[in-house]
Amino acid sequence: MNSKSIVDEKLHAAVADSTTGLPLLVRSEMLPAVFPVDLLVPDARQQTPAVGQRVIRTDARQHGLGQTPYIDDMVIPGMLYARIKRAGVASARILGIDTREAEAMPGVMAVITGRDIPVNSFGPSLQDQPVLATERVFHAGDGVAAVAAVSEQIAAEALAKIRVEYERLPAVFDPLEALKDDAPKVHPPAGNIYARKVICRGSVEQGFADSKHVFEQQYRTQMVEHVPIEPHAAIALWDANGRVTVYSSLGRITLGRADLARTLRMPINRIRLVGTFVGGNFGGKNEITQEPVLALLARKTGRPVKGVYTRTEEFTASTTRHPFIMDYKTGVDSNGRILARKVRLVLDGGAYCSWSETTLGKAAILSTGPYKIEHVHVEAMAVYTNKTMTGAMRGFGAPQVCFAYESQMDEIASTLDIDPLEIRMRNAFVNGSISPTGQVLHSVVVRESLLNAARRMNWPEVDS
Amino acid sequence: MIDISLTVNGGRHELSVSPETTLLGLLRNQLGLTGAKLGCDVGDCGACTVIIDGRSVNACLMLAAQADGCSVLTIEGLATREQLHPIQQAFEVHASLQCGFCGPGIILSAKALLDGNPDPSRQDVREGLSGNLCRCTGYAKMIEAVLQAACVMRGETEDVDGKSKAGS
Repeated sequence: MNSKSIVDEKLHAAVADSTTGLPLLVRSEMLPAVFPVDLLVPDARQQTPAVGQRVIRTDARQHGLGQTPYIDDMVIPGMLYARIKRAGVASARILGIDTREAEAMPGVMAVITGRDIPVNSFGPSLQDQPVLATERVFHAGDGVAAVAAVSEQIAAEALAKIRVEYERLPAVFDPLEALKDDAPKVHPPAGNIYARKVICRGSVEQGFADSKHVFEQQYRTQMVEHVPIEPHAAIALWDANGRVTVYSSLGRITLGRADLARTLRMPINRIRLVGTFVGGNFGGKNEITQEPVLALLARKTGRPVKGVYTRTEEFTASTTRHPFIMDYKTGVDSNGRILARKVRLVLDGGAYCSWSETTLGKAAILSTGPYKIEHVHVEAMAVYTNKTMTGAMRGFGAPQVCFAYESQMDEIASTLDIDPLEIRMRNAFVNGSISPTGQVLHSVVVRESLLNAARRMNWPEVDS
Repeated sequence: MIDISLTVNGGRHELSVSPETTLLGLLRNQLGLTGAKLGCDVGDCGACTVIIDGRSVNACLMLAAQADGCSVLTIEGLATREQLHPIQQAFEVHASLQCGFCGPGIILSAKALLDGNPDPSRQDVREGLSGNLCRCTGYAKMIEAVLQAACVMRGETEDVDGKSKAGS
């Protein structure tokens, strides 16, 4: 054994002591600063131990050396920089966009508006989102024009020289207000409710009538931005045969390719979308944003065009987590056993549908919690408001409803003077329980998980 | 344009920069050192952290001209060809980085911390990394890694030859 391997064993031994105590079997030599990393790759059909082994992430070496190429680290010769002008008003009719002064600036190579976009709408379920707003602004982060220039600074300066004339229109920001008949319509003539789901099992009225106690409470959660440390970024370039290549930190490249084909009105086989390293996604990079704009600017200029969102744009012009308004009514017997639960969810969808339907479905199905309840009624709806659109984010609506039903469990426990753990044990799903949508559940370990957690935190009421 | 001279990762550079060029812009665009990232552009996220004359700095908030006469260390200058820095090695072993975008900044903040305080407490490490955001929420593994690297850098797991393991 040479001296280097001894050092490494000591390092690894110390690591093992300080964390899990598991042996580290990954490598035995020192780690030179080279790439690719020498990985433990099993031979074909070779059975290798996996559980209990520490593994090295394949991307760890380049990450640690600062050599991982994210979009903004990529430079293509002749590349231009794009910026998008944001509306800054929540609801308005666009009367005119004057780009002449911006186009005349030295260093500005091209300016486009929504009218240059062949099919100016997209979206994973409803195609209600314009790539750049043309006639109407639906929220303040809407893009209204885009510039490609030889530097980011010139592009940013050019944005200030684009004049947009607006006629301000009434706006609605509160989803409960948006539900009212006389509320301003975000996408007229359609109403503001754009997705709805109802789940019914048993009879909640009967359940409440049989209940000893009935608890009613409203819970609200806020809008959350993903804030990936790497902002949305993409590069577009065309080849001489009229095919476009887009490098993007997009998560769903297949969907993105289809959206590009639609918005550019091009056969999909002429579009190449390269998913690059992603500096954080969390659901916020699940659909196209500026990609069609960059592609059109690149076609207009004949040069590669890069676009990187500013941190402000991340907050105003990318998707966020839906704020929920959740009304819970729960009937329990004298032992705290839940007999009936009625739930009404109002999802603030912002200006566009995005992944609202997925979020709505998951939230509705999970809204009664992991509890055996005979009588269930859930009504969930997603509502347009003139705010930043809401879409996919880790859990798709599950965290919001979890906050509501667990908060209510604590309130019930406290009122009935039952231990919070005990009330959950009495109500939790077991093998064979039926979910609100009729699914018979198997491999259910809610109670075991609760008890494990309670023991680890020395919960006083657990018999160990 | 302003003429400046500075040392970056041990190499001397004589450069001409426009007054509004940030140190981050200089490193990324003029020197091609893209390890330091532009995350927020207002000094909140720490993805652009570099070490200047021993102190960790948000390169997005410092003008290139202000670095005249300074010595700058970026993530590219931390490892030698033969060996990773103990912090880089510990981050790798602990799988401290997920998407990796915050990594160069966090590793350099950790280096600045350990250079000034070789035996930090867990709380010292938390404070040392408090200027850097990780949205993959990998802080726990980073803190473990920094404590482990400190242990190596103090020589507590020293090479049998008695040579220092550290790359710098």
